[in-house]
Amino acid sequence: MKHTKLHLLLADDDLDDCDFFKEAMEELPYECNLSIVHNGVELMNLLESENSELPNLIFLDLNMPRKSGMECIREIKSSGTLSHIPIIVYSTSLDPSVVNELYEIGALHYIQKPAEFACIKKVIEKVLKIFKTDLSPTSSREHFIIQP
Amino acid sequence: MNLPLKFIARSERFLKIIFGASLFIVLVMGGVAYKYIKELSKSIDDVQHNYQVHIALERMASALKDAESGKRGFMISRDSTYLEPLLVSSSAFDNSLKDLEELTKNNPEQQKNIAELKIKVDKNIEIFQKTLELSTSNDFDSPEFIAAFREGRQTMNSVRFKINQMTAHENDVLSLAREISSKRLSNAPMLVYYVLILSLLILLLTYLQITKNLKILKEKNELLETFKKSTIQSEIISKHGNWIWHIEENIYEYSDNLYRLLGEEPQSFDPNLDNYLSFVHPDDVEKLMEHVEEMMENEDLPFIHYRIIQKNGAIKHFKAYAKLLVDSDGHKRLLGTTADITNEIENYRLIEKRNLELERSNKELSSFNYVASHDLQEPLRKIQTFLSRLEDKEKDKLSNSGKLYIERIKSSSSRMRSLIDDLLQFSRTNKSEEAFEESNLNILLETAKHDLAEIIGDKRARITSDSMPSMKVIPFQIKQLFLNLLSNSLKYSRENTPPAITITYSLTNASDLPKIKYSKFNTYHTITVQDNGIGFDQEYAEKIFILFNRLHNKNEYSGTGIGLSICKKIVDNHNGYITAVGDTNTGSTFTVYLPKT
Repeated sequence: MKHTKLHLLLADDDLDDCDFFKEAMEELPYECNLSIVHNGVELMNLLESENSELPNLIFLDLNMPRKSGMECIREIKSSGTLSHIPIIVYSTSLDPSVVNELYEIGALHYIQKPAEFACIKKVIEKVLKIFKTDLSPTSSREHFIIQP
Repeated sequence: MNLPLKFIARSERFLKIIFGASLFIVLVMGGVAYKYIKELSKSIDDVQHNYQVHIALERMASALKDAESGKRGFMISRDSTYLEPLLVSSSAFDNSLKDLEELTKNNPEQQKNIAELKIKVDKNIEIFQKTLELSTSNDFDSPEFIAAFREGRQTMNSVRFKINQMTAHENDVLSLAREISSKRLSNAPMLVYYVLILSLLILLLTYLQITKNLKILKEKNELLETFKKSTIQSEIISKHGNWIWHIEENIYEYSDNLYRLLGEEPQSFDPNLDNYLSFVHPDDVEKLMEHVEEMMENEDLPFIHYRIIQKNGAIKHFKAYAKLLVDSDGHKRLLGTTADITNEIENYRLIEKRNLELERSNKELSSFNYVASHDLQEPLRKIQTFLSRLEDKEKDKLSNSGKLYIERIKSSSSRMRSLIDDLLQFSRTNKSEEAFEESNLNILLETAKHDLAEIIGDKRARITSDSMPSMKVIPFQIKQLFLNLLSNSLKYSRENTPPAITITYSLTNASDLPKIKYSKFNTYHTITVQDNGIGFDQEYAEKIFILFNRLHNKNEYSGTGIGLSICKKIVDNHNGYITAVGDTNTGSTFTVYLPKT
């Protein structure tokens, strides 16, 4: 186990959702660094800038302006320097065909944004628990979707 | 249809054989008749010949008698005129003998007799001369004369005997010839009679055969006439015309209806290519001509489409097909059919246009459905999240009615959430052929039960099910079907009675399907989901499958009115049927029929 703080990156254009996420993180007993970007272009710029420190994990919304989450995953997974970063999709919808496609192109997990705040906390905690023991975990299709 | 024609071909051969046979019989009859006539004339010749021989012999005998009686007359009367016949008879003998020799030269027996006769006659004449000399010396009583006279009578008798012998022989020959020819001729009438009967028989057979052929030909003619009429009728009804092009002679034949298709009176202009081309749309003339060139070489060509312009300006779409036919003499003919497909083209264009419109509106609808449900989710979710934050953080600061309002907002928003979820589900329940795969329905049912585990536990529901076979289905949809039917039964359960749901499986013949008169498939997998819930009035049995149709107040039961519509859509996607039977006392029964492929 590493003693350095886990570095999380959230890419979501919805400010409310960003707030909920931030608040949930704050209420959870985990010490993490959370950076937030609000669209896909911003995300890719951040990842590709030379002096930036790469995050341990990306939470990615799908429906974003300028560059969608799906496009971002494809770019990240096809890049030599970024493809190792685990990506967890964090989206409002749950369309089985989209979920399948995301699994195929290499997303680690899929989370449908919960309505209850308590549930938001639960799913984030589940993810953090995984990363507490392993920084580059794997997943199967069966456990691809994380539910509260 | 072919059989009588074959029969006629066979009978033509039959008639040829009969004709040959008749010809042969006539020839044979002619030959036989010729032979008989020849036989008859020969027999007449024989008789005549015989008479001539007789006459010659008689004449000789009578000459001999004349000589003898002349000699005797002279001896008695000494009148030398009695000796005149003697002078004649000597040469008469010679002539008669010569005649006889000539007449009997084919008969060796008679020739021999004649030779003997000649010796006897010569001897007789010699004796005759001797007796005559002796008598001139009047020495009648001399023994010499008496001996000569006796000898003369003896030779005379022997000559007569010989002549009689020859006559008898000649009679024998004649009667023998007669016997032979009569034997030969006696068969003639019988033979002629038989041949006549045979000829009559052949004639009768020929007559029967020809009558039969004529009858068949007449029938064929009538059939042809009917066929022609029906062709004319079908040409008019199906809007097509026929044409024949005799390629070598460059002669065309157009059917009446082809003229009508061109907007002209039947046979109102000469059927030829130039006249026809004058109707063809200028843009299509080249294409048509190219095709015509090809038609002369290839036996079979695909359909060609072109337009024509009628004299009144109306443009019509034609579709033509032609086939090259080479008959047994090597004559090339092109048999063509041209159809007016203007209506079809117009309909097709209309359908195409409507299809495009439908496709577009369908696409719009489904994307609207999806986007609307999806985009509605986000604000709703946030309302719910804020509500939960409000409850968590500010609950203590709220009055009782404030708390009640929060509860109301919560239940409204959760209802909205189920509506949106169900609508999304409904819009995603589409049919795609690739999604079909051989699936174990028992597993799909178990997955659905697993999803409902919580509510099943809460309500202490008991679910029993038959084992179901594997079938080719869209697995996630069938799972959804089970899920919706089970949750329906759980939802509309009786208060204070644990739900008991029974799932049974059987096979049903298409003919036993309720309300279905015609079905593409013979057998159907039949899955029945029966519960002991509140049931429903049978008069709503059809209505419950319609989108947003609900039988209960939403305060009583939490249904959205979409679940069963999704079930219906899923079953439709599988070419199946779903029926519902309700009884407010015993519960409801849903039956799903899926085709057995």
